[in-house]
Amino acid sequence: MHNVVVVGGGPAGLSAALAAAAAGAPVLLIDSNSRLGGQYWRNSSDNFDDQHEQHFDLETGLLLINAVKARKEIEVWSEAQIWSATNNEGKFTLRIIYQGKEKIVNTANIILCTGAYDRTLPFPGWDIPGVMTPGGVQSLLKGHGVLAGKRVVVAGTGPFLLPVAAGVIKAGGEVVSLLEANKSRRWLTSFNVILENLGKLKEAFYYIKTISEGKVRAKFGYAVITAHAGSNGELESVDIAKIDRNFNVKKLKNIKCDVAAIGWGFTADTSLAGSLGCKQVVAKDESVIVWVDNDQQTSISGIFAAGEITGIGGSELSMAEGVIAGIAAAKFVGCKVEVLKAHRKRRAKRQRFANALIKAYPVKSGWQSWLNDQTTVCRCEEVSLGDLKYSVEELGATDSRTAKLFTRCGMGLCQGRICGRSVVDLVANELKLLPTDTDRISAVNRPIITPIPLGVLAQGE
Amino acid sequence: MSQFEIEFTFDGKAIPAIIGQSVGAALLATNQRSLRKTRFNKNKRGIFCGIGVCFDCLVVVDGVTNQRACIIEAKPGMKVQTQDGSNA
Repeated sequence: MHNVVVVGGGPAGLSAALAAAAAGAPVLLIDSNSRLGGQYWRNSSDNFDDQHEQHFDLETGLLLINAVKARKEIEVWSEAQIWSATNNEGKFTLRIIYQGKEKIVNTANIILCTGAYDRTLPFPGWDIPGVMTPGGVQSLLKGHGVLAGKRVVVAGTGPFLLPVAAGVIKAGGEVVSLLEANKSRRWLTSFNVILENLGKLKEAFYYIKTISEGKVRAKFGYAVITAHAGSNGELESVDIAKIDRNFNVKKLKNIKCDVAAIGWGFTADTSLAGSLGCKQVVAKDESVIVWVDNDQQTSISGIFAAGEITGIGGSELSMAEGVIAGIAAAKFVGCKVEVLKAHRKRRAKRQRFANALIKAYPVKSGWQSWLNDQTTVCRCEEVSLGDLKYSVEELGATDSRTAKLFTRCGMGLCQGRICGRSVVDLVANELKLLPTDTDRISAVNRPIITPIPLGVLAQGE
Repeated sequence: MSQFEIEFTFDGKAIPAIIGQSVGAALLATNQRSLRKTRFNKNKRGIFCGIGVCFDCLVVVDGVTNQRACIIEAKPGMKVQTQDGSNA
């Protein structure tokens, strides 16, 4: 039995595993990717050309990855998919597909670092091949050395659009338009927050320099609101709109492109925490996150959480949280170690920066006006906004859960990971209500964490 | 072909890939943006999230349906096909 089981090999998971191992606890690190680093330090095999140009700070990532590999107290399972997690009075059982077989891990101590993925909003044409998430475009570049297209529109909101646009330019692509929906430069007013996080500013300038060298000017207060397919059924152009502060459309223009990378911040992946019964709360950006105490411990004794699943905040905050979670978990299993004041101070500083960003890049409800009744909302089950409206107006659905049962919206293979959050907003709007925290939390609960072929279970241990 | 290159097929056509690359990335590098057709409306779909979350880039790999092109690694001689319809 492993003393500490860390789930996720990104900035938080790597930091947590190292901190726990340094304190003397044997660690099992379970990661679903083939290579450690998570989405932030996603790296390709050594067969590709120079990867460093796609990263602002791959060095830190490689440092952590190599340190994890060098520590004999840490056992790493890569390409391991956890499909079920149960909590039996403080004894946790993880069922994992690893190397083609089902493995069962029993433990009393888990650190969840399951990260986040791009938040997307439905809009007419968002299911046309060529419309992607910024994270998808970046993952193709960082992980596979492939530029998604020649003429790329990058749009949505948040600082993550910058590295994606910069990455496209560095790889030789053309960013035909870089559109930030929010006009606010409110974060500039949080001057003291910037001063104590100068590293982040340096990172932003690094991307802005690349973008301006690529002769791209970012436009503020603009969004992609429709995507159009050519006769081959693939992306040919997008309608970009000047929008007001509430995201309502003011003026339209059509531009040609072969990729549109559109993202609206991030959604935390709390499925595993939810299965184990950890308390979830709704954050300021309306994403559902895992509640943690000052030691990164969840509502369940013995389960810790760090990184994006405890609130979207970027790699540096994730690392700071990971260190605290690792130390606290090691202490939990009997190691003589304490979380230092310096650790908490570092976390607090980075949390203030994350808070300022969340305030500066909101997603306003006007996005709902971009849709029409024919717009696909659930990509997996091909459910349209019209179908959802019908379930409310004619079938009498009074919340998103019931609308989901009537329409199969969110019941496909992705289990609502892509549309779930938007469906809660759309159904509430149809009912002329504001979504409750219960609505939002119930939309992210999934009985099976990742769909798996049943044949594999038959060969389990 | 360099020592790092392999080849698989997509609907019978030879596709080059670098070792470690996903099927979806290698296909996109050859400008193949559509990977499947949906069950009901027969719409084309391709890579969307790119990290295994959305299940939209589904292809048939060596006869097995519902494989995510964005995360499945390209292997020499793999037979990859467009997935038409059924994905549940």
